[in-house]
Amino acid sequence: MSNLLKYMVENASIILDYASTHFSLIFSAVAISLVLWIPLGILISRNERLASIVLGIANTIFCIPSLALFSVFVTIPFFGLGRPSSLLALVLYAMMPMVINVYQGIKVVDKSVIEAAKGMGMNSRRILREIQLPLAAPVMFAGIRITVVMATGIAAIAAYIGERNLGRLITEGLTRYHVEMILSGAILIPLIAILFDTVLGAVERMLVPKGLKVSRSK
Amino acid sequence: MIELHDVTKIYAGQTVPAVKNLTLKIKEGETCVFVGPSGCGKSTILRMINRMIEQTSGTILINNKDIREADPDRLRMGIGYVIQQIGLLPHRTIAENISIVPRLYGWDKERIRKRVDELLELMGLDPDETRDKFPAQLSGGQMQRVGVARAMAADPPIMLMDEPFGAVDPIVRGHLQDEFLKIQREMKKTICFVTHDINEAIKMGDTIAIFEKGQLVQHGTPQEILSKPKNEFVRTFIGTDRVVKMLTLFQVRSITKDNYSIIRENELANIRQKMDDEGAAVGILMNESAKPCGLITRDDLEKAGELNPEKIKEIACGKKDAFIDGDLLLNDALSLMLEWNCDYLGVLDGAQLIGIVSFDDIRECVRRKEGE
Amino acid sequence: MNWERFLDALSRVPHELSIHVIMVLISLAVAIAISLPIGVILTRPRFRKMGALVMNILNLFQAFPGMAIIALTMPVLGMGLKPAIGALVVQALLPIARNTIAGLYGVDPNTKEAAQGMGMSERKVLFEVELPLAMPVILAGIRTSAVYVVSVGTLAAYIGGGGLGDIIVAGLNMLWAEFIIVGAGFGALLAIFFERGLSYLEYKFTPPGFTITK
Repeated sequence: MSNLLKYMVENASIILDYASTHFSLIFSAVAISLVLWIPLGILISRNERLASIVLGIANTIFCIPSLALFSVFVTIPFFGLGRPSSLLALVLYAMMPMVINVYQGIKVVDKSVIEAAKGMGMNSRRILREIQLPLAAPVMFAGIRITVVMATGIAAIAAYIGERNLGRLITEGLTRYHVEMILSGAILIPLIAILFDTVLGAVERMLVPKGLKVSRSK
Repeated sequence: MIELHDVTKIYAGQTVPAVKNLTLKIKEGETCVFVGPSGCGKSTILRMINRMIEQTSGTILINNKDIREADPDRLRMGIGYVIQQIGLLPHRTIAENISIVPRLYGWDKERIRKRVDELLELMGLDPDETRDKFPAQLSGGQMQRVGVARAMAADPPIMLMDEPFGAVDPIVRGHLQDEFLKIQREMKKTICFVTHDINEAIKMGDTIAIFEKGQLVQHGTPQEILSKPKNEFVRTFIGTDRVVKMLTLFQVRSITKDNYSIIRENELANIRQKMDDEGAAVGILMNESAKPCGLITRDDLEKAGELNPEKIKEIACGKKDAFIDGDLLLNDALSLMLEWNCDYLGVLDGAQLIGIVSFDDIRECVRRKEGE
Repeated sequence: MNWERFLDALSRVPHELSIHVIMVLISLAVAIAISLPIGVILTRPRFRKMGALVMNILNLFQAFPGMAIIALTMPVLGMGLKPAIGALVVQALLPIARNTIAGLYGVDPNTKEAAQGMGMSERKVLFEVELPLAMPVILAGIRTSAVYVVSVGTLAAYIGGGGLGDIIVAGLNMLWAEFIIVGAGFGALLAIFFERGLSYLEYKFTPPGFTITK
């Protein structure tokens, strides 16, 4: 344990360096995913046929082992080793949790609420903006939360295709049989993931509209 | 006001029409109740009127204008719509829920605020207490009140109500029906009201339209429907207690008569004399403060034989509850007569005696209405 | 594309694929054998409080990346196939236990009460009512686990576990696209095969007219 701490302190600057690469990869992947997948999720919530196709694709991509997906992009000349391949793989993985949560968040909004709103003359854009999106917000955010946590773990695997992030502590540690190095990676990465999960979980609860949190007993 | 001409609806992928060749006219200020078993097409018809569903063929006119010419959202803004599930927006307060349509119309804040309070008051809810609550904080009955208030927010001339009181227990439903009838008597809106409960139809409707398998079987006033069921289906749908249901259409005061004598304590001895003189069927015993406290019929007097004042008083006071409020309905009167085993009831207006009602009069009333 | 290299990669597939499948099946079986009874015990009334606590902890561990588990195994269990399977068991435990608990909690209490009211023993209620009704959710957990395990299984190559990961790693080291494509392709197919197969089972085990919200 003391060896581990000693290692981490001695290599603090490089670990911080790795961490910042790690975060920048997660951040870019999540940002791109937000832009792509939220609109897609909204789109498929209005078209069942498209929904089953898109969700099928997302589900299949999600099944592909991460190492396999990362590696495959390496073989494509334009992507190669490094950032573009890692980014693409993470964005594709994010498709499943983000699209499905947006879709389901919108879909689970009580049908009678939509019916009543439509019957009062609200147009579908307004219904989306004023009813479906606010009510779906917590579920949608849960998708973002899952994506961030997942990306934290999977980004580490990108170390095998040349990303210089926290995953490197593990990959290099394994090749050099450097236990402290392995441990520092294997502890830091889950720690960060759990931290993200906890913080974002709190944000998620804040997003629940007040009207859904109250009850008659209060 | 609302006219349906030869309207047919066939849902995609189905061959049997949900609504077939329907022609129906609903007059301004009239409440027309669509009633029938589930799957008879009544909700489909309602939803075609505000274009939640588009008809397959035929035309629907509102104020002589084809609804297909209007923008669907504008059309719906002008028609109040209440559904059984209510569909209050769970993330908005009661005030925000009620003000949806006024907001769509772009009313200013002050006008909306006033209107919300006015409606809450009208629906028997305390504005200060209810305004800022969320739907989840209300009881089922309160939510349905809010649902109705929301539909009336911009004062639309037409209301479509799909089992609006269907989700609450019978007692609350009864209250809501009574209150809504009272409001409607002043508002005079044109209302299409869907229910599967024939009793609710009789109570709420100026006219009733009975549907079976997508077709209109009979359309008429409750009295017409009850007295002249068009066929076996309507007869079965109304039930074997058809005539008793008809009694619910009339208030006791409508057949009240005044062939009674007022008997005071000191007149008990020559009660028969007094009733003979006044041609009365019933003697009503009054106490010192001129409140009715008992009732005695000629039959009772015959049976008693001996004219002992004490005995007469005892018999009369035994029926001290054989009185009914004039606002109640003939079926209530019938029930009380059976309860007290008595052909006559005293009729009250508050605490004031206004006459008597007899079993024969009820029978006569039914006979007359059946003949009409 | 180098054809000979491609064939070389393909010739390694039978061996590595069978190791991979064995690795996945053993770790799934062990994980089911451990987490199913735990899930059942934790949902019994007397452990109910503990069940909620365990559920929270399991949810927290959802965030634990597979690579970290593999990496942590090495210092503890060493290198080779057995340590790899050990890591995969840990990986597979969580979703199954979690879904077993969630599935059993999700059974309508009225149904349970009705069964008890008809005189079924606690045991009978569990086997004839609760488990059949929770089965689709439990199977969904096994499915999630299977996909994870296939995926993390490719990383087992880095601790000497073998499997399809070996082919990918060789490809990455030499930057041979042929090896990468063959290894990754079969890895993906294996995962999709497990996913579809278990989805089908799940569908079969779902009582008609019963929809599960995942």
